[in-house]
Amino acid sequence: MFRRWLKRNRSVNGASNGRYRNGNDHLIDLRQLVKAYQTEAGPFFALKGINLKIDTGEFVAVVGKSGSGKSTLINMITGIDRPTSGDVLVGDTVVHTLNEGRMAVWRGRHVGVVFQFFQMLPTLTVIENVMLPMDFCNIYSMRERQERAMRLLEQMDIANHANKLPSAISGGEQQRAAIARALANDPPIIAADEPTGNLDSKTADAVFELFEKLVDEGKTIVMVTHDRDLARRVTRTVTLADGEIVDELVRERNRLQSPLALTETIDA
Amino acid sequence: MLSPRWRKILRDLWHNKTRTVIVVLSISVGVFAIGMIVSTQIILSEDMASGYHATNPASAYLYPGNFDDDLVEAVRRIDGVQEAEGRLDWLSVRLKVGPDEWRDLIIDVIGDYDDMRLNKVSPVSGAWPPPKKGILIERNSLPLTNASVGDVIEIETSEGKVRQLHIAGLAHDMDNPPAQFIGRPFGYITFDTLEWLGYSRTYDELHILVAENTTDKDHIQAIADQVEDKIEKSGQTVYWTYIPEPGEHPANESVQPLLIIMGVLGTLSLFLSGFLVINTISALMTQQIRQIGIMKTVGARTTQIVGMYLGAVLIFGLLSLGVAVPLGALAAHAMSQYLAYLINFDLAGFRIPPRALALEVAVGLIVPLLAALYPILSGARVTVHKALSTYGLGKGIFGRSLIDRLIEELTTATQMLSRPMRLSLRNTFRRKGRLILTLSTLTLGGAIFIAVLSVHASLLTTLDDALTYWNYEIEIRFSRPHRIAQIEREAMNIPGVSDAECWSGNTARRQRPDGHEGPNISVIGVPADTNMIQPTILEGRWLLPEDENAIVVNTEVIKEESDIKIGDEILLKIEGREATWQVVGIVQGIMTGRIAYANQSYFAEVIRYVGRSSGVQIVAEAPGDASSPESTSKHDPTFQSELAKKIKTHFDSRGLQVRQTETTASIRENIEYQFNIIVIFLSIMAVLVAIVGGLGLTGTMSINVLERTREIGVIRAVGASDASVMKVFIVEGLFIGLLSWLIGAILALPISKMLSDAVGMAFLEAPLSYTFSTQGALLWLSIVLILSALASILPAWNASRLTVREVLAYE
Ligand SMILES: Nc1ncnc2c1ncn2[C@@H]1O[C@H](COP(=O)(O)OP(=O)(O)OP(=O)(O)O)[C@@H](O)[C@H]1O
Ligand SMILES: [Mg+2]
Repeated sequence: MFRRWLKRNRSVNGASNGRYRNGNDHLIDLRQLVKAYQTEAGPFFALKGINLKIDTGEFVAVVGKSGSGKSTLINMITGIDRPTSGDVLVGDTVVHTLNEGRMAVWRGRHVGVVFQFFQMLPTLTVIENVMLPMDFCNIYSMRERQERAMRLLEQMDIANHANKLPSAISGGEQQRAAIARALANDPPIIAADEPTGNLDSKTADAVFELFEKLVDEGKTIVMVTHDRDLARRVTRTVTLADGEIVDELVRERNRLQSPLALTETIDA
Repeated sequence: MLSPRWRKILRDLWHNKTRTVIVVLSISVGVFAIGMIVSTQIILSEDMASGYHATNPASAYLYPGNFDDDLVEAVRRIDGVQEAEGRLDWLSVRLKVGPDEWRDLIIDVIGDYDDMRLNKVSPVSGAWPPPKKGILIERNSLPLTNASVGDVIEIETSEGKVRQLHIAGLAHDMDNPPAQFIGRPFGYITFDTLEWLGYSRTYDELHILVAENTTDKDHIQAIADQVEDKIEKSGQTVYWTYIPEPGEHPANESVQPLLIIMGVLGTLSLFLSGFLVINTISALMTQQIRQIGIMKTVGARTTQIVGMYLGAVLIFGLLSLGVAVPLGALAAHAMSQYLAYLINFDLAGFRIPPRALALEVAVGLIVPLLAALYPILSGARVTVHKALSTYGLGKGIFGRSLIDRLIEELTTATQMLSRPMRLSLRNTFRRKGRLILTLSTLTLGGAIFIAVLSVHASLLTTLDDALTYWNYEIEIRFSRPHRIAQIEREAMNIPGVSDAECWSGNTARRQRPDGHEGPNISVIGVPADTNMIQPTILEGRWLLPEDENAIVVNTEVIKEESDIKIGDEILLKIEGREATWQVVGIVQGIMTGRIAYANQSYFAEVIRYVGRSSGVQIVAEAPGDASSPESTSKHDPTFQSELAKKIKTHFDSRGLQVRQTETTASIRENIEYQFNIIVIFLSIMAVLVAIVGGLGLTGTMSINVLERTREIGVIRAVGASDASVMKVFIVEGLFIGLLSWLIGAILALPISKMLSDAVGMAFLEAPLSYTFSTQGALLWLSIVLILSALASILPAWNASRLTVREVLAYE
């Protein structure tokens, strides 16, 4: 069904007012994003006018010091948080204007979210956790859900843990299960906030490889990470400091034929 | 196959068994209370009515002096009369229940035991009909005869004849009041036996059943008037006609208020149960916040989340029904059986009335859903961002409001409190919403408990007041009137008698403004300045020596003659003569029937008994046992009956034949018996409320602690000992308990006053002598302290046993 969505988007490619319905040419288009938190000492700006465009098939790492606004930024893309001002355009959707209900449905279908901690519902088995998004978004038949969940677990190499409770498997295995769940509804975008943050380097590497495979399959991934080594293996690195993008690096990944050019410079 | 979200809900219920049990029990108590009360109400009403109906109760009772079957036949032929039957009713004889111990036995005479048509008495065991020289005893009154079936009893008739009667069997009669209420047994004999006892073969009570509109009191009155006309045309006077509430068991009137009061308490329990549900569900939602965040992250809409948790509540409700419906039915059965025994009728068998079941289902499902709606909606509405950012240890809002600052200052000021103590207090106030919910639940429970016990105490005070009503010990009735001077002189000659006062008594019936006659009222002529009775005057005044046709009535008269006001002139018919009386006062009735007091000298003139009386009230000297002065009092039943025997012997030997002696101790016993029924019911309700409240307390406290399992882990991780962790929670639990007790006790004051007024109005036509139950308050205090401590210790102990890793994984 997302293939259709993507196909349809390709068919409107070339429309004069942009590739997508809202005039955006890029899959993810963040415009002048500002996020202010009300604190006792007055407003605190976690994001100070971010402009960021990400195209289909990109693998973007968001890096920066703790408190620089990485989580805040990624939460804008997933619709988990809303900007104080600015626009969040993802595909055909103006994300920040959706109400909570539509937001949930939209997110369920278009963005797979992976966190650092606590992802699984503790009383559901691994496979049931993976089936959950299909249940809530009511896609695939009951039979297909089970089969699909199993296939995803196989893909993540944890099919043998399918019927265990999350508390009975390791952190790395939980993280793979979480990725499987993020893929359940076959969303075009994966947003991950420090997915390898509390994994050992070997496990982290394995998880990262999974992401690379997904990118090869055409997914777009935005990932917050502290891991410099991993950050070097993505197609683009966005560095944040104090709520601003201070550096951007576009790299060619060997398997990508044509790297996506960065069309705009950053204005502060 | 069940979808994952429903599997989650089911597994959560199973996983958190403690919480599931608490919620299910919380709902169950409300359903149970409502189920038990409503079922009892329905079963009693239905079975009492159908049992009573089966006896074919009369529509009206007429008292035309003595009559025979010819008159009965004639009445049967009157248009509009379906059926008529004669009885000889309420023949009072003395029954020997022990050596020198006598008790009144009330005998009914039935013409044909095999052709009873109205107010049928039914056989229970033994012979039917009773043989000559035999008697059937009403099944409920057998214990009062001190004999059993097959025994021979000795009776003495009003003429002084002594006869031996054989108890041939037991009968069941719903038309007479339960024997215990009036302290006198009932018996049934044939005309042959009646003749043998020295009475003539006549009826004195005519029962009629109207042919149509059997429930229309006016129609019954009209037919009764016709019958009366017809009888009077044949030359006989109808002294009185009595029309009961059509189709209603005579006890219905006293049972209904009891059930209404229980209904009120049941509703309060239901409220309490609702609070418990709000409480536990909001705790549950708090715990689930992050999971809700995750579900929303993967695409769950708020409505789906709301649906899931409402589904969980529905399951809680269904489980509760499984617990409460059978238990409620059993309790209702036990309670109805007890009441049926007291009122002397049979239940139709164990059953769950469909109406009660429907109500239970509605209450068990709708109340929790309503109660849970708010916490679920607000929990499900949380945004993903908020849900996931409350990751840390429960974010409090301590340190914001004025109250908070006050508390903080208070707690820091009280430096003598140890650190964990201060931590506890701070914790308590951290989650204000939660605290308010917990407190309201506990407070409500406490307030109801204390209120019920206060009504209990008020009843006992009222009973005490009632028991001081009589300031004499023994009442003597002679077979015929004697001169007052002689009676009093003879009485004072008896050792042990300190005072004697002759009263006159007679039965009056009010001639109502609408031309009909009211029921019997006992009019007692007393000296205006008598010290022998101390009624509580509710309105107007007591008699004055110069009063002539002044009369003071008790509240039980007002119950029947509700139009009477102070200052009204009423027409009373005594011994066939009518006279006008002015009502000057209303006194508290004390379950001894309709009584009116008049000035003795004037009343004696009215009944033409000047200077003579057929009864005397005796005040005893205090029992002079010097060795143990406290061992017996003048109120002691044995002391009184011993003295009564001596007095009877004395009067008999002087030619003043004593027909009957009655001790105030026995009157007290009857009143106590009737009060006890109410007291027992209130006690049942108090226990019920205590269970509901105690459960609420335990549940709320445990949830409070459970919710902070993670916090416990962290406190422990930073090195606190198990003991100090427990101390924090116990102090917090006790503090909440104490606070709720304090507010509850204060709240109990108005609630108990209203409840005790209502109970008083229902049973005694006047508010009870209100007494706040300090004991009840203290009892609740100890329940609160014990349960708060336990309810905090257990979960805290459980939590403190978890490893840090488990705690951090704890959801
Ligand atoms: N609810 C809030 N209220 C006030 N300030 C907030 C709130 N949430 C985040 N912040 C602040 O916004 C800034 C950015 O936070 P954010 O979580 O995006 O940082 P981060 O880059 O993800 O850090 P880390 O690497 O530690 O996860 C931080 O300084 C943080 O303190
Ligand atoms: Mg972060």
